[in-house]
Amino acid sequence: MALHRGNGLATIEYPTGMNQNGDPSQAWIKVKPDGRVDVFSGTSDIGNGSKTVQSQIVAETIGVPYDWITYDNSNTDSSPMCTGTFASRATFVAGNAVLKAARQVRERILAIAARELEIDPADLEVADGAVSVKGTPAKSMGVDEVAGAATFVHGELLTGDGAHLNPGAAIVDPESGEVDKPPHAAISYAACAATVEVDDETGDVRVLELTQVYDIGRAMNPTLVEGQIEGGAVMGLGFGVLETCYPYYPSVEHRGDGMNTYHVPTMSGLPEINNVLMENPSSGGPYGAKGIGEMANNGQPAAIANAIYDAVGVWISEFPITPERVLAALDAKREGGGEPRREGRVVAFDEELSISAATSAKSWGP
Amino acid sequence: MKVVGARLPRYDGVGHVTGRTTYVDDVRLPGMLHAAALRSPHHNARITHVDTGAAEAMAGVHAVLTHADVPLLVHGHLSGAGIPGDEPLLAKDYVRYRGQPIALVAADTVDIARAACAAIEVDYEELPALFDVRLAFDDDAPVVNDTFGNWYNKYEGDLDVRQIRKGDTEAAFDAADLIVSGVYRTQSQEQVPLETQVCVAVPEPDGRLTIHTCTQAMYFSLGVVCSHLQMPMSEVKMVGGTVGGGFGGKVDTASDPLTALAALKSGRPVKWRWTREEEMLASGNRGPWHMEIIDAVSSDGWILGRKMLTVHDAGAYGRFSVYGLTKHSFHHTGAYSIPNLHFDGYVVFTNRIPTTAMRGYGITGLATAIEVHAERVARELGMDPYEFRLKNANRVNDTSPNRIAYEDPSTVEVLQSLASATGSELSDELRAMSRDERSGDMLPDHLVAQIGSGGH
Amino acid sequence: MELNVNSVARTVQSPPLTSLLTVLREELDITSPKAGCESGGCGACTVLVDGQPRRSCLTAVCTLDGADVVTVEGLGTPEDLSRVQQAFIHHYAAQCGFCSDGMVVAATAYVNGGGTDDTDAIGEALAGHFCRCTGYVKILEAVAAAARGDECDVGSTASSANNTYVSIAGGES
Repeated sequence: MALHRGNGLATIEYPTGMNQNGDPSQAWIKVKPDGRVDVFSGTSDIGNGSKTVQSQIVAETIGVPYDWITYDNSNTDSSPMCTGTFASRATFVAGNAVLKAARQVRERILAIAARELEIDPADLEVADGAVSVKGTPAKSMGVDEVAGAATFVHGELLTGDGAHLNPGAAIVDPESGEVDKPPHAAISYAACAATVEVDDETGDVRVLELTQVYDIGRAMNPTLVEGQIEGGAVMGLGFGVLETCYPYYPSVEHRGDGMNTYHVPTMSGLPEINNVLMENPSSGGPYGAKGIGEMANNGQPAAIANAIYDAVGVWISEFPITPERVLAALDAKREGGGEPRREGRVVAFDEELSISAATSAKSWGP
Repeated sequence: MKVVGARLPRYDGVGHVTGRTTYVDDVRLPGMLHAAALRSPHHNARITHVDTGAAEAMAGVHAVLTHADVPLLVHGHLSGAGIPGDEPLLAKDYVRYRGQPIALVAADTVDIARAACAAIEVDYEELPALFDVRLAFDDDAPVVNDTFGNWYNKYEGDLDVRQIRKGDTEAAFDAADLIVSGVYRTQSQEQVPLETQVCVAVPEPDGRLTIHTCTQAMYFSLGVVCSHLQMPMSEVKMVGGTVGGGFGGKVDTASDPLTALAALKSGRPVKWRWTREEEMLASGNRGPWHMEIIDAVSSDGWILGRKMLTVHDAGAYGRFSVYGLTKHSFHHTGAYSIPNLHFDGYVVFTNRIPTTAMRGYGITGLATAIEVHAERVARELGMDPYEFRLKNANRVNDTSPNRIAYEDPSTVEVLQSLASATGSELSDELRAMSRDERSGDMLPDHLVAQIGSGGH
Repeated sequence: MELNVNSVARTVQSPPLTSLLTVLREELDITSPKAGCESGGCGACTVLVDGQPRRSCLTAVCTLDGADVVTVEGLGTPEDLSRVQQAFIHHYAAQCGFCSDGMVVAATAYVNGGGTDDTDAIGEALAGHFCRCTGYVKILEAVAAAARGDECDVGSTASSANNTYVSIAGGES
């Protein structure tokens, strides 16, 4: 009876935006007479940080400080359409909508400033809340002054609107699955390694370490990206070794009905989590962003399963990897079972779980 | 860039750490009623009789809703994508899962609402239930879904299977030195947002409705509410945008349309907050996936072809499952380039909670299956797991299962970086690999025809 | 009966077996303690009772006559944030924020009780507090920072110690 260590890895990829696209986001922006910027977007913030990220994109694009931005996603009367916060689309798709709206605002600020400064708008730039002449930074005026002039001198509203829609993929060819244009806005890639310790007496698996590399496109706010990846790692850990709505699936008995009976990872006994964030800018995302929130819990379960094989030589292909399952596999192995069927060039694992083993209504197999 | 890329604090962080952020449950309105649902105790049953009389007569009860109160009982969440609706907002003739709502009561207090639910008389004729997706295809399987039968049958109009065919799979299997099959079953997972489903609906004096919602998708929920209530979007104002966790479980916010109806019927603001038990036992969760993978492999470590069968346990109704399966099918090669593919996928209905989106939708289980399978193949070949993955990794202008060229794949680079971060030794040859378009040894004959162009 | 809530004397009318959570939220309109599970399982309703962290959902109000109750509103204000609140902002320990009300209270009790910056000790002390967003990494760093007495700038955030960045040539931005 002993503890065994093992290492495993997994490689994953994940699309940004709704599959087959066709999921619009829209935004509009207005500037108050003192230059402060009101952003109206319909993107819910579910903790992912939509309010923060979209405010950053607007501030960057217009050229004003972050704390000049007021972000309002509070209702559907004042905010235009956004498909929602899911499918890793909020930063990419909705971010593009506010980016386009902010570009319009910037153009209008430049146009008013050009009239005030009597200079071609092409010779002007906006940064840190001021419009200045390229190459002659001394000649400038504040965005607050521009907004005041727009309001009280020129009788104009500094505003902008933006919409983003990756065109919907055409109907999938029903025979081949072929589509005529990309069904995703971008794709992110990642790899994950797990180190585990398996107790061969109890079947208990402790995940000691997770090391992960994520292609994040470009970080709009690195701290928020880390938050997504760290949170995803622990959710993937839960999927890997703890959580299930139906512990005796397909039976519906013994369902956990509360926080004490459905097991979610807690702050105690967590693995060490190390991440490498790889910037690989997308061609279509705002400032090169990709969506990474959803993929963040996809790599850990297989990496853990593969590490368990490395540790004790048993494959677990039903999830989550409970002590019962590990122990059953270890027992089978001790009794000389648990091996795949080997016949010629065919190696067939898990045949007892297959649809062919359960029914003759669907035939399938090597 | 100065602001983009900066480690700025959360826009709403100060509110979050000082108790000042307002979530839906924190909304307080004078005269607000509280709602509770009567839910099915059976997994599969015919409803033979419903009598709400006693409940309606109880002191403090202001509205009792049944299916007859819903202007449009069945709304298809994905009807815009050609996927018909199948799920009644409140059960009518049948209940198809334990926990399915049959009636909603709005009363002065939650306790009164619950007592009124208990006073509603419902007679059931219990029916056999189906829980094992592998048995759904049997002739004598219990029927689960009234619209589609036991598996979805309206792909692109009238197909009952989502299929991918690419290249020549039979030739790939004929040419294989090794054929490895495995069966992978991933589980149902609850999203567990700390904030349970909650809604406050307010009838306004001008006839409009204000709905304080915890949805992840305000306009999506607006569409769902307006469809069920048969109202134009101008009549409903969704108020939200600040959500206590979602993870996919708050896209199809079932609480919004029913709370709205209760507010209209009672003429009072109504709050419906689900208990944790309801959240765990009756809200949509991640669905289980049954996946069978067979890979044709060459002795030098190329994956020549893949056959895959996926059976997705959708629960009792479709919700987003067809979307999830299609996404799954588009990604069933994972991060690898496999030129010859034969994929069949089914959305199968069982008498459990209808499943819904959750982080990684359609792919979390798939990635798990693909990567355990990859490890098995590598081990059978006696090949280093990094080498096997790097060799088969997708590269610029390789094509996806549905023929789209990869624009900026970084599988090679993330694997090299992972090896470096974990102290795993890679050979010089593997360290020198890149994602660049295939050539030389990395462009064997079997990968020539799948190369695309233009990249995305 | 009387309660001293966030340094204000309050008279409570609710029946004696009403939970403190319900009294705070529904009678006194103090909404920071959250009804995450109402069965003691999640930690989101945690408040300080006479300085000790308590699950307000499991605490009958009749047991508290005259007690000092502090919710997260009482620990600091947006203009005058407590050290723990500053650390939570700087270390990005709140994402959706729904667990934060209880988490900040519990972390405050840990720090006030002389807790150290040892990750295992923090994890043990706060293991009953669920967070589904953060994976706890940044919560652990925030509590450790508060335990050490770090000055935490609320105008910026910190990377976790375990994250490194690399860049590869990519498409146009």
